Amino acid sequence: MAYHFGGGRSRAAPYAFLVPALFLYVLVSLGPSLATAVYSFTDATGLPNQPINWIGLENYREFLTLGAAAQENWATLFRTFIFCVAVTVIQFSLGLLVAVLLNQKLRGTKFFRTLIFLPVILGVTIQGLIWTLFLYPLGGPMDNLLGLFGVQSEFLGGQPMEAFAWVIVVQIWSNLGMTMVIFLAGLATIPNEVYEAARIDGASRWQVFREVTWPLLTPAVNTNLVLTIVGSLQAWQLFLVLTGYRPGTQVMGYLVYATGFGATSGGTSASLRQGYAAAASIVLFAVVLVIGLTVQYLLRRREARLLG
Amino acid sequence: MRKSFVVAAAVAMLVAACGGGATTAPSVAPDATQPGGGAAVSGEVRVLIHQNPPLVTFMEEFNKKFEAANPGVTVDMAVVNAADLTTSVQTRLMANDVDIVIPTLTGFSGQVQPYMKNVLAPAWQQLIDAGLLLDITDQAFVKNYGPVAIVDAVTYMGKVYGVPAGSVVYSGIYYNKDLLAANNVALPTTWAELEAACTTLKAANIPCMTAGGKDGWPVFVGAYGLAGAAFPAQAALVEGLWTGSTKWTDSSMASLFEKYQTYSGEMMEDGASGIAGDAAPGRFASGQVAMFPGGSWYAAAIEAAEPAFEWGYVPFPGSDTAADNKYMFGKYDMVYSVAAKGPNKDGALAWLSAFSDPANYQAFVDAVQFIPTQPGATLNAKIGTEIAPYLENFKIGFEQYWVAPKGAGTFAGGPILNNMFKPFGTFDDPQAAATQAQSDLDAGLQAE
Amino acid sequence: MSTTTGSEGQALAGAAAAPGRRIDLGRLAAYAFLILIAIAYIGPLLMLVLTAFKTLPEFTKDATSLPASFSLDNFFEAWDKANFPQYLLNTAIYTVASTVIFVVSAVFLAIAIARRFVRGGGTLFTLFLIALFLPAALIPQFQLILALGLYNNPIGYIMLFLVNPIAIVILVNYMRTIPIELDEAAAIEGCGYLRYVLTIVLPLSSPAIATVAVLHAIGVWNELVLATIYLTSADFYPITRGLIVFNGVYGNNWPVLAAAVLMITLPMAVFFVLAQRWIIGGVTAGAVKG
Repeated sequence: MAYHFGGGRSRAAPYAFLVPALFLYVLVSLGPSLATAVYSFTDATGLPNQPINWIGLENYREFLTLGAAAQENWATLFRTFIFCVAVTVIQFSLGLLVAVLLNQKLRGTKFFRTLIFLPVILGVTIQGLIWTLFLYPLGGPMDNLLGLFGVQSEFLGGQPMEAFAWVIVVQIWSNLGMTMVIFLAGLATIPNEVYEAARIDGASRWQVFREVTWPLLTPAVNTNLVLTIVGSLQAWQLFLVLTGYRPGTQVMGYLVYATGFGATSGGTSASLRQGYAAAASIVLFAVVLVIGLTVQYLLRRREARLLG
Repeated sequence: MRKSFVVAAAVAMLVAACGGGATTAPSVAPDATQPGGGAAVSGEVRVLIHQNPPLVTFMEEFNKKFEAANPGVTVDMAVVNAADLTTSVQTRLMANDVDIVIPTLTGFSGQVQPYMKNVLAPAWQQLIDAGLLLDITDQAFVKNYGPVAIVDAVTYMGKVYGVPAGSVVYSGIYYNKDLLAANNVALPTTWAELEAACTTLKAANIPCMTAGGKDGWPVFVGAYGLAGAAFPAQAALVEGLWTGSTKWTDSSMASLFEKYQTYSGEMMEDGASGIAGDAAPGRFASGQVAMFPGGSWYAAAIEAAEPAFEWGYVPFPGSDTAADNKYMFGKYDMVYSVAAKGPNKDGALAWLSAFSDPANYQAFVDAVQFIPTQPGATLNAKIGTEIAPYLENFKIGFEQYWVAPKGAGTFAGGPILNNMFKPFGTFDDPQAAATQAQSDLDAGLQAE
Repeated sequence: MSTTTGSEGQALAGAAAAPGRRIDLGRLAAYAFLILIAIAYIGPLLMLVLTAFKTLPEFTKDATSLPASFSLDNFFEAWDKANFPQYLLNTAIYTVASTVIFVVSAVFLAIAIARRFVRGGGTLFTLFLIALFLPAALIPQFQLILALGLYNNPIGYIMLFLVNPIAIVILVNYMRTIPIELDEAAAIEGCGYLRYVLTIVLPLSSPAIATVAVLHAIGVWNELVLATIYLTSADFYPITRGLIVFNGVYGNNWPVLAAAVLMITLPMAVFFVLAQRWIIGGVTAGAVKG
């Protein structure tokens, strides 16, 4: 793109100014992650003074193919996809709807915005606590509410599918605020004149949305899709707080964490296995990488098409 | 541009990879490290414990007394969430930033036995192998503890690496004296009596049992007596499962699976699957449920919730023969170790020695209500009186011996270590559960 | 001619007087839906607030009932026991320092990528996108900080929070919407690169910057695990570490914890309310010349 701010030495300005962010990224984030990748090919325990042996793909072989444990890992992977799809579709649509509604001059929008964003501010542990209380099965608020409709649920202690569904609900509730805020910022870039012009042309509200708002929202749409998809693939802390490590409900992120800290199979004194845990986290990374890059590529193509 | 961050990345990697072996002194407040042994202790002693309110309160007072008795010494104690304890122990030992740690909350359990193939050393052993825990075999204060506890809980390869702070029992069941009396239900001493008691209580609309089902483990831990009564020799059971001489699908196991199913599906109250672990004692103490299977650690919570509540604690009657139900299974709990590379080893040893002093140790036992591992100490709380008749028959539970083979499925530990039956698990057929457990175990035993 | 943005409702309401009926129904439906959502949010949040007013025995007996009285005891207890003043100050320092430093560095990175002022900008963006996917590298990162001698050191701790790929994604996507004509206009006015960024890019991206600042600040404010590992002297503890006094092994003191949480959340909530002004189409009037 054309650079207008001088030639020669001053052309280096953009490069120079971005170095701090880049340097920090390499040091604090990329470097350690590369180290993790390297560790995944070893039998490192994470403790010093121990021989570290290069074992090639052995950790991966164990994680992906060894016995019933590996099959469970695949089931967990599949479950993570389901989680991602459900959360993304619902959170994205609801977030968009709420943002569009709150973008109108209705009364109390500030109140609604803060209210819906509040869970994001509270953080995962508190989100989990709140819903553990709310979903208390013996006469808790949700139990009473559902009872009015004659519906019974065991909530988070119930069968895996049921507990899983409730975690999806909490995940969406907790993160809707972020999706909404990003859409609101995007909606803020659309000038009034554009709406007025469309109205004058006699467009209906739905047409205005589809032909005007939606295309102009593309950057916000892209941001939200990427963040929600990637976020839901990696999410696990809500599971920690709401259900604990129950067979049939875990997702990949939880599996990776538990492998690193030995909360998985039976046995009380689990081992420190940094190499193996690193391999598990690289597997998750690979999954997220493929999905994330594909989504990003498709979205950029669409953006180029729509906005030129 | 590209090249420079490849270089930077390589440097970062190298530093990260090599950093693990380096022992760097942390940049904190200066601490006067003591001269070699024999001199008076001085400086800072750094202690790392997990969050356990009675323990924290005890430690704070103990530290003050220790500082008063040893002028020139300050104790710097850090408290972390129990969930973060393993990580904190690991990172602080790596940074040589701590003197006293708790390397395990289950004693030196999960040791690799000769008949186990393809398994890994447990975390506490890895710490020892990495030279991070100090060998204290020759310290005088080690003799304050019972020899059995020393051998079972803190010895590895013939050397002692910590002191066993106490043990807990988990195969018992709490019962509501008033509720049983009011319904003319005698305290069950056999499985058949337990079943009958539950039927009577349910008929009177009283929930028979409760547990913290939402956390999962309180349910299968509560039923420990079932396994214990059927297989008093737990270490032998583990060996049998590993060598194949015992299988989950054996006919001798069938009644065990059936009992677990009855326990989960019929004895537990409706909605128990949603009760959080920390809410369960309160539920029991409210007086609405007749019985509460669980460990001795709940006693303090029950008493705090309802001091006037009348309860008792007996072994969970898992067998149809009363004589089989006299064992209490449990585990060793905390172990306190000295960091081998810590900044103040002499201070740490003095601290541990003071902790092991019988008077201080008794105060500790009174505070956290562990079953003592020192012969002279007694558990003065009510739970101590309840357990006392069974202490001769204290045995270490299956859970402390069990190590799952690599590649095993979730249910390799059977119903002893998992909730298999509805509503806490997904099975309703005991035979199907047994088949699954065995196949999960075989997957590990046969994996290369 | 000034540009005001964002209030679609204003334009619609202003332009259309004729089909009044239809709009009223639409607005009604909008309100109804929003109120439904609000209830879904107030309900659970109310639990937290009610819990903060209960006593522990009350809570243990029945977690979901109304408190007997609305005394502020829990709040005072939380303030004292959790060492609020000092730890809150620490948290504030960590949050402000890391957010300010990070946002400044991120803006320069994002604009260079969004405008492709640097060669390989697309690759750079992909690199940061990948950072979003990266697994948490707890132990290697720890070894790094240890090797750098920044263990148990606020500087080392703050360093951990100077990277945030989510923010980069948000900023880059947003900055692409800034009209290119402004670049030329600024250059003609004699702006150098630095002035351009500070006087054009910064104000125009304020919605995204405010969003990013809020999200980043919340992340740092609420962090517990990294604080546990990296800050072992009590002087350095953030408030999240202070709350540990209310955790138990078999049960937490939820009422006091809830009170503490409400107190901790307040600054961030206030920050968000203030930041909304920038997030929702703030300072854009008068930006377009000619």
